[in-house]
Amino acid sequence: MMTPRPILSSLRRHKIAAFLIVLEIALAFAIVSNAVYMVIGRLQRIDLRSGIDERGLVLLRLATASKQNGSVASAQTDLATLRAIPGVESASAINTLPLSGSQWSLAYSLRPMRAFSDGVQVPVFFGGPGLLQTLGIRVIQGSAFQPSAYSDLSPKDVFKAFVNARQALITQAFAQRLWPHASAVGKVMYMGETPVLVVGVVSNIIQPYIGADAHDPANYYGVISPFRAGPDLNAWYALRCQPAACARVLKAGAAKLQAMHPTETLNAQESFTHMRQRYFRDDRSMAWLLVSTVIALLGVTAIGIVGLASFWVQQRTRQIGVRRALGARRIDILRYFQTENFLLATAGIALGCAAAIGINVWLMAHYAVPRLPVMYLPLGALLLWGLGQLAVLGPALRAARVAPTVAMRSA
Amino acid sequence: MLDMREIAKVYRTETIETHALRGFTLSVREGEFVAVTGPSGSGKTTFLTIAGLLEDFNSGEYILDGVNVHGMNDDQRSRLRNEKIGFVFQAFNLIPDLNVLDNVEVPLHYRRGIGAAERRKRAIGALERVGLSARMRHYPAELSGGQQQRAAIARALAGSPRLLLADEPTGNLDTAMARGVMELIEELHREGATVVMVTHDPDLAARAERNVHIVDGMATGILEEPRFRPSLRERTGTDVPHGGA
Repeated sequence: MMTPRPILSSLRRHKIAAFLIVLEIALAFAIVSNAVYMVIGRLQRIDLRSGIDERGLVLLRLATASKQNGSVASAQTDLATLRAIPGVESASAINTLPLSGSQWSLAYSLRPMRAFSDGVQVPVFFGGPGLLQTLGIRVIQGSAFQPSAYSDLSPKDVFKAFVNARQALITQAFAQRLWPHASAVGKVMYMGETPVLVVGVVSNIIQPYIGADAHDPANYYGVISPFRAGPDLNAWYALRCQPAACARVLKAGAAKLQAMHPTETLNAQESFTHMRQRYFRDDRSMAWLLVSTVIALLGVTAIGIVGLASFWVQQRTRQIGVRRALGARRIDILRYFQTENFLLATAGIALGCAAAIGINVWLMAHYAVPRLPVMYLPLGALLLWGLGQLAVLGPALRAARVAPTVAMRSA
Repeated sequence: MLDMREIAKVYRTETIETHALRGFTLSVREGEFVAVTGPSGSGKTTFLTIAGLLEDFNSGEYILDGVNVHGMNDDQRSRLRNEKIGFVFQAFNLIPDLNVLDNVEVPLHYRRGIGAAERRKRAIGALERVGLSARMRHYPAELSGGQQQRAAIARALAGSPRLLLADEPTGNLDTAMARGVMELIEELHREGATVVMVTHDPDLAARAERNVHIVDGMATGILEEPRFRPSLRERTGTDVPHGGA
């Protein structure tokens, strides 16, 4: 490294050009650090564990309006037919599924409450005795519901049924939220003013709709209630099958349902893997968009640095020759331009830190983006310093090749 | 101090081969003041670039202060140049973005083992020596031509060189300024500096202890004690056009 003082002194004589490059680096730093954080957030969301056994799970759903085709009784007949398909291990009619994008939410609290907002809002899953096996959910503590605990749920008595629901299974994450230092089994929580006994804790399952922060434990809050559901509650027929047989099972299941309900249509016929991909499609697109933006921005910044450095090398060719004549080695000239770029990048990064935090605060306020972790700032600084050094290398090497005899030419 | 023997330098392009120096031989003793003269294109500048280690030569032998420079790589030549040689250019070659003090410090930045305080001390000392310490915070554009050349001489002196190489040091100055600069160079020589000055001006050359005349890349004549020869005015009856003392 060269002594920075004469370089700073020289930069002070080229304030506008230096300021523009500092500004460009600051903008790049501010945008890139936030964009990279958002990309990583999206990728972490895409990689989130669903908590269910995804392989070998296929889904069908009837778009039903008629009472006789939508009831729980009709669903039981449909499920019996679907279970008879070779390769099906279990089947269940479930009101909602992880990553399906729509959910039933209820609020639970440790004390009786009057307002929905007083409790923790949690999605509720129900689907009869086969739900745990079909989705591959494990009971970690306590026990599953007794068969006698289940009741049918129809659209007309939803509110009444939930008020009367006295048992629940809760996910491990929600249990830790309510009772961080004790077992949840046997404890009572409240849905409104209704006491609900926690009979068991199940392995975490991800919510049907998840927030922006992939690390938020609330993504795994969930309650399972002892209800059976039918198509009139927009329930899914979830079929657990051998992975190799899934495609055939899905096709056969769809054909059976159509044969049993010729007046209805199927509005969903897919594997869970496909549904998961569909759920994260926007995250994937956004990640690509942001990555493209970051690459373009870094490219423009690099071009800016190369352009200015090349201009300065050309402008200072004689000065470089004089320095060489006065004893500067090629490496000294190279270091001069590298140090100059390092100083400009450092100024840009310092300014960019403030801008990065400002952009993050704005994104937090308008787009529910989580707070930018502090570690992104030094990582962004390293990236910009590296980019600057790389970008200036070409012009600096050209400068280092300037012959000392240039100093002898007439001005 | 400077010992060149049978130096040859050839510049080649695709179509042309130019023999800038051919069998050039010159010895300069320590503390001597030598002027190298010759017409345009005679090889004066090539001599200076080789003497100043700014470029290599094709054949011959060059010993600078006891060091044989033939075969040295670029880094070695840069180091030797920085330690042994002080340059005074015709166009001053001060760096316009730096003030006078920073300009004088430039060669010291490339010298190993000199800290910031020592650099500053030496630079100020050199500026005091050329009478420019009051202007050390000024930028080159704020100085007259003569002051700029004084600053350039201070820069050349700051590294305590063994040899001062001057390329037409008064070529860009008016008569009054040129006189001042020449007096400074003579004063440095009286204090013990070894000076080699390239000039096309016979009257300037006459102020040196010895003149070497180059024609077609060869030293064609050496005149000892030229200051005792008749002046140009006495010989031609005309005044020196510019740059004279």
